[in-house]
Amino acid sequence: MQIDRAASCDFDRRRWLKLVSAFSAASFIPRTLLHAQTQQQMCAAEIPQHREPSNGGPCPYPIPWLDKNGNHNQPAAPNVELSSIYHFKGKLGRCSGFQGMGTDNKGNRLAWGTATTDYSYMAGEYWAARQAHQAVFAHT
Amino acid sequence: MVPANQVHDFHSPISPEGLYWVTPVPSDGIIFSENGKTVTLQMKDIPIIDQPRWPAMDAETTPAYLDFKLVFNSTEEPVKYEDPARQYRFEGFRAIAQLQASVRVPSIDFTFKTDPLEKSSCDFAVMGTEVNGKYYQS
Repeated sequence: MQIDRAASCDFDRRRWLKLVSAFSAASFIPRTLLHAQTQQQMCAAEIPQHREPSNGGPCPYPIPWLDKNGNHNQPAAPNVELSSIYHFKGKLGRCSGFQGMGTDNKGNRLAWGTATTDYSYMAGEYWAARQAHQAVFAHT
Repeated sequence: MVPANQVHDFHSPISPEGLYWVTPVPSDGIIFSENGKTVTLQMKDIPIIDQPRWPAMDAETTPAYLDFKLVFNSTEEPVKYEDPARQYRFEGFRAIAQLQASVRVPSIDFTFKTDPLEKSSCDFAVMGTEVNGKYYQS
């Protein structure tokens, strides 16, 4: 594509002025609002461009309710939801409160584990993207 | 509560869906014994993060790798946890779980290896079957 140099200069000057104006206006928009907008764009569902179906993503999603820290992370204990995955059926094992000792590469003996050091396996079927998937996952 | 003397915190990253510290397991990564009373979960070179200041929102992360072997052995003590309002039901048995693991943080030349499996212990372990959400029927 050929571009006329004079026209290009004129365009550049006008564009520069517009950019300066835009920048001046943008500087008055609260930073938090801009950040929120960027995040919303990142989370926005993709618009199918070639008539593909729109069924959501195939990845499993978390238990809806939150722990005391506002996280989708249910500490393991009796009488709580033990799966990390919602819409799940299958085999599950869960354990927490590990304690032990180990050695680092400098020969130091270090304790490992806390009351919330937990692991699990979830082997079976989960529902996402409007269909069932077979998989095995571990919480580490 | 994070212990004051904690120097590392190794876990998987949180997924974009919000799934906490969950990683896919390859088909040969889990073995169920024929009688269903023992489950062995074993994985190598799992990409994880070291996040010592977790759960601070700005807790920095360092790439790391995890190898581990986790063995569940069922006891004869049955358990059932169910909440119709939250749509989950777990039925199974109390278990004994033991873990051995090693981690590597290449950027700081740090490795750590736990003592053998038999030397570990945990406060709570269960194994069984679970249904929740769409699959739950009271």
